[in-house]
Amino acid sequence: MEKIKKYPKNLLFWLFICLWIILLLVTLLLPVETCFAAVIKIGEINPLSGRFAKQGIEIHQGIEVAVAEANAAGGIGGMQIQVVSRDDQSRPDVAISRAEELCSWEKVLAITGGYVDSLVGPIAAVTQKYKIPYVASASLQKELTQHKNPYLFRVSKLQGFVEPLCGILTEQLKPLRLAVLYAATPGSTELAGELEKCLKKQGLKIRMLEKFRPGTPDFTPLIAKLARMKIDVIVSGGFTPDHILFVRQLKENRVTPKAYIGPFGIAYESFIQALGKDADYLYSTCAWNPGITLPGTEEASASFVNHFEKRFNQPPNTTNMHGYTSAKALIVAMQNVLNKQLPLNGENIRHALTLLDLVMPMEHLHFDAQGDPEDYRHVVVQIQKGKLVVVYPPDRASGHAIYPMPSWEQRN
Amino acid sequence: MWTTIFISGISLGSFYVLVALGFALIFGVTRNFNLAHGDLLVLAGYSAYWLWKAWAFPFVFTFPFAILVILLVSLGLQRLFSRLRDPIELNSIVLSFGVAILIQNSMLFFFSGNYRLIRVPILSQGIRISGFYVSYSQLTLLLLSLVTIGTLYMLMYRTYLGKALRATIQDKDAAALAGINVAAMGTLSFCIGAVLIGLAGPLYGCIHYLYPSTGHEATLLAITITIFAGVGRLNGILLAGWILGLAESLTVVLCGASWREMVSAVLLLTLLAFRPHGLLGKGEG
Amino acid sequence: MIFFTQKINPSEIKVYRVGLVLGFFVLIVLPLMVQSNDYILQVFTHALLLASLALAWNFLGVSGSISLGHAAFFGVGAYTSALLSLDQALSPWFTIPVAGLLATGLGLIMGLICLRLRGAYFALATLAFVEVPRVITDNWDALTRGSLGLVGISGLPTLRLGDWYVDFGSSITASYYLVFVYSFALLGLVAFVFRSNMGLAFQAIREEEIAAEAVGIQTNRYRLFCLLISAFFTGISGACYAHLVRYIEPSLVYGLHFSAIPMIFAVCGGRFTILGPALAAIVLYPVDQFIFHPLLPAGHEFLYGAILVLAVLFIPDGFLGRRQNA
Repeated sequence: MEKIKKYPKNLLFWLFICLWIILLLVTLLLPVETCFAAVIKIGEINPLSGRFAKQGIEIHQGIEVAVAEANAAGGIGGMQIQVVSRDDQSRPDVAISRAEELCSWEKVLAITGGYVDSLVGPIAAVTQKYKIPYVASASLQKELTQHKNPYLFRVSKLQGFVEPLCGILTEQLKPLRLAVLYAATPGSTELAGELEKCLKKQGLKIRMLEKFRPGTPDFTPLIAKLARMKIDVIVSGGFTPDHILFVRQLKENRVTPKAYIGPFGIAYESFIQALGKDADYLYSTCAWNPGITLPGTEEASASFVNHFEKRFNQPPNTTNMHGYTSAKALIVAMQNVLNKQLPLNGENIRHALTLLDLVMPMEHLHFDAQGDPEDYRHVVVQIQKGKLVVVYPPDRASGHAIYPMPSWEQRN
Repeated sequence: MWTTIFISGISLGSFYVLVALGFALIFGVTRNFNLAHGDLLVLAGYSAYWLWKAWAFPFVFTFPFAILVILLVSLGLQRLFSRLRDPIELNSIVLSFGVAILIQNSMLFFFSGNYRLIRVPILSQGIRISGFYVSYSQLTLLLLSLVTIGTLYMLMYRTYLGKALRATIQDKDAAALAGINVAAMGTLSFCIGAVLIGLAGPLYGCIHYLYPSTGHEATLLAITITIFAGVGRLNGILLAGWILGLAESLTVVLCGASWREMVSAVLLLTLLAFRPHGLLGKGEG
Repeated sequence: MIFFTQKINPSEIKVYRVGLVLGFFVLIVLPLMVQSNDYILQVFTHALLLASLALAWNFLGVSGSISLGHAAFFGVGAYTSALLSLDQALSPWFTIPVAGLLATGLGLIMGLICLRLRGAYFALATLAFVEVPRVITDNWDALTRGSLGLVGISGLPTLRLGDWYVDFGSSITASYYLVFVYSFALLGLVAFVFRSNMGLAFQAIREEEIAAEAVGIQTNRYRLFCLLISAFFTGISGACYAHLVRYIEPSLVYGLHFSAIPMIFAVCGGRFTILGPALAAIVLYPVDQFIFHPLLPAGHEFLYGAILVLAVLFIPDGFLGRRQNA
């Protein structure tokens, strides 16, 4: 009996020894490279778990569609594309490990994906070390492209949000008492800062500038404060859940601002579905949506929507499109490299990316010297009768903004 | 403005107390920390949501279903907790942390990462009471919470069973000596806790939103209120919830929204420094 | 569910010791074994950092106090070192210890407020305590850049001895060795303290505090001592983290993750043992990163939760729990 009782103790212990032995074997087998000559490897790192899981998964879906489309059309130069997908758990240290794995172990040719700069930044540092091009799907902050990293490109930037916001506020809405709220995250904080700068230049004053923690469970005191200060337009840099709660509590307390603008997280079908009629009259910015696409790209846009719906049984949103665009950029760049009869390696792909000129439903994609997309600009939309209507800039507007917002009593 | 804050503070505070009660009871009786408490709340919300969305059940009928689901899960949890050995408190923290991860990921798998709401149109209407507007949802929160707390109070202080529960909270060993079946009290506390969560969950899905990882905040809230009131003390809990809620609201108005989270922390720490046994607890000799 | 007997077989100890020495040597020659593969070394560097974090946490845990708020020290350490090296261009050789000292200062404050509490009250008080440095860091824009976070933090420092120098920040291999030396030094300190009379005092305090007081052990002083040392090393770990990852923001370094992880490793590895927490960190973290991640890109967290639950149910004293009992 005693012997049996002792086994589990030794078992755990031998497990520990075995782990080291396995690691030893694995590392000794490193030099053996499995070469699948007929496959082009692209890596993607997204937060598939943790607090950015939702957006990470959406970016991943967009990338999946782009790659599937390319493979169905014969791949690149006759070779199929294989995507090696990794999860950074919404944590920078894991993002670094994943980037190291993809670059040194999996030996991918390029990397895409990525959400928020605190994750994209560390990954970009690693890819720069290995000289592997990285097209980030959703990075916004200025700082990231100031570090002269020739291997980093991105398909989005914060100015794409700030310019149209500034524009509609100073040209159309012209609020007398504007409040800007923002969330305690780097992206949202920078948005508020940049917006303040832009508005100051145009002479528009912000009456209230306040920061809240995303995921705040109760906005009532803030709403009461806004009501007392007679704020007419509210710009909130919060995210989908914050908007859901805020708008709900606005309704509950019967406080009606003339306009509520939420640059992040409102222009989504899921948001409109969640709030129903209460979502009407809210403003947001939008890079792309089914039906809202760069003039001239309607066919490509519809085709993307089609493919996406077939694959995932739901309509795509702008986050999906960001993933799609970044993957497409890589695919087209690689095709360009092969067309010039050059070998497919990191340096050539990087060079092809600098020369890229691609019209996508979301933007006319071409990168500047820092890797920023030159023509990335959102439009301002308003939800009217459950649909997104473009209200700014005038050359892309499909309707007029309903301003001011009718009061809650009138709406019921 | 102050009335709005007061009304919403009281109604929301009562709701938070409802959330915290289950945690406080379970911890008081069994000394088990249930860090998965908030996730159970969200699970209850999702159950109600599923019934409401997929089967078009009226909102009121989702409550019994949510309660049933959480009862089953809680009893399963209790089985796990009862297998823990000393130190029970630390081990229960780790166990419930692991369970929380499991529940969160299951919810993420089944319901995806979209934010879900249960929309009950009538609750967004309201009435005017002497010039002030109160929405039906605020009233419902307040009334439901007060009724539930009142019922629990009745149970704890007016019945023999309640006496047994209180005895176990005060001193497990003495209670056992007095002939109380401590293990049964533990199971009972889990069941009552489950009912409380099952009641609060659908409401949560209604006034807040459902997302797999929001459980964490709800758990923190429950913990804060529990300590504030004094661990194991149920009579101070309503007061604790109200004070905390009002203090946070005042901070937002006076200092700004970015200081909100620190206030409850500072309040709690000050309280613990001067009255370690909670708001209404008697100080130690 | 008691699997182990109280008696410890002498041959077991031998096997255990051999395994330990073997493990130690493997860690030392790891870079050579993997031919400086940055991926593997990166993961192990982090595993070692987490091991040091777990050891630091355990220093407090061994005296009977469970802290759920060590992220406060981690965050303060990370921000102090990052800010000093960024804004004042000071070398991390200087800023990292200063970060540890500042964290100790914070630990003193926490001790004065919380140490009069026991058990659950203490744990929950520490949980609340994290908010104070976190919100201050988040709102003090002028000093800390607030919610924007800090980017471009320098790497680990360079060691110069005359003409010869090693830049620990430039290569992963070098960083690995620096963190390894740090963790091992901490392990040595922990072993020395736990095996001394002080260690006996800790054991007395955690098992039966009143009796310990009766015998003349000044429990409050010892508990404060543990807290301060624990805070110091947690601060240093935080500073190292900042220089390894080079991007920090308040919600990351003050987040629950860094409060929970050392506790989990300590529990899985053996809360009152010397080596337990470090062992758990070095085994669990790489297993998660190397095996679970590629297997289940989207579902590995589930496995992590399952392991936790199983570990706490079936191995309540951790891998090495029973070891120290005889």
